[in-house]
Amino acid sequence: MAEKFDHLEEHLEKFVENIRQLGIIVSDFQPSSQAGLNQKLNFIVTGLQDIDKCRQQLHDITVPLEVFEYIDQGRNPQLYTKECLERALAKNEQVKGKIDTMKKFKSLLIQELSKVFPEDMAKYRSIRGEDHPPS
Amino acid sequence: MRIINARHREGAGAEGTMENFTALFGAQADPPPPPAALGFGPGKPPPPSFLFSLYPPGSTELTGSTNLITHYNLEHAYNKFCGKKVKEKLSNFLPDLPGMIDLPGSHDNSSLRSLIEKPPILGGSFNPITGTMLAGFRLHTGPLPEQCRLMHVQPPKKKNKQKHKQSRAQDPVPPETPSDSDHKKKKKKKEEDPERKRKKKEKKKKKNRHSPEHPGMGSSQASSSSSLR
Repeated sequence: MAEKFDHLEEHLEKFVENIRQLGIIVSDFQPSSQAGLNQKLNFIVTGLQDIDKCRQQLHDITVPLEVFEYIDQGRNPQLYTKECLERALAKNEQVKGKIDTMKKFKSLLIQELSKVFPEDMAKYRSIRGEDHPPS
Repeated sequence: MRIINARHREGAGAEGTMENFTALFGAQADPPPPPAALGFGPGKPPPPSFLFSLYPPGSTELTGSTNLITHYNLEHAYNKFCGKKVKEKLSNFLPDLPGMIDLPGSHDNSSLRSLIEKPPILGGSFNPITGTMLAGFRLHTGPLPEQCRLMHVQPPKKKNKQKHKQSRAQDPVPPETPSDSDHKKKKKKKEEDPERKRKKKEKKKKKNRHSPEHPGMGSSQASSSSSLR
């Protein structure tokens, strides 16, 4: 799994480096640089071919669109992962709090009902098969 | 706690209570057993309404009461991203990428959003450029006009001292003891000196690499360094 990303990353790094060197050649062009320029242009084509080959191995990878928002703003995409984890943990804690509160309410309700309807609650417990503290 | 049962007022039988229950609470998916099976008969008072919910809701093993991060083995990821401070800028994630990548993509029409909304027209395969096509890439000699030179401008690298000061001001770090802070400052000073030397060496190496042909000392270095400014 990680190898697919490593291959793609390697090809992309080479491609970017090639483009950067091409930019340097063009920034102050000399006649002797023509051969180098032609070579770099062909490297662009082969680089794109290599990247295109990697695409087939990664067709099942999905990327959330929100990550693109971070990248477009010039922000670190790891912040998206961080915020997802923080939000998940916060929601987890919130739901756990609700569950705990409902459990407390249930036990209190059963206690009070047992005071008002002792026989019915005994039948209820026998049917439900749950262990509750006697009222 | 006072529980009111409207069915006592009506004095209806077991079937009547069932109809009233459905009217009040809606139809249930699983019909409860008839009250007679539970020990209630026509001679006895109707059962309280809560007994109709004898069937508990479906239980699941995984609920919000469990720690989902440990359940899905994400502790390492959580400590990695949330335990340490993650740097804000994109250049911290991709330090080797040239150019001004911290700027928003909307400035120079290089946003990923525009790529998704207006994907480029793809057709055919990538064919190598032939000799006749390469004739179109014969360039004029000389430097580029100033408008096009911004491509090589790198964002200024901030000094480590400023970063440490900023992080100290922002993070709610507990107060350090005087002995610890002194040791840390001494360690940082010691570490910075060899780091500075390494950075200088790396910069020199990069400058030597800038020339597309194999680096030769002298004029090629001078021309490449002037264009990078």
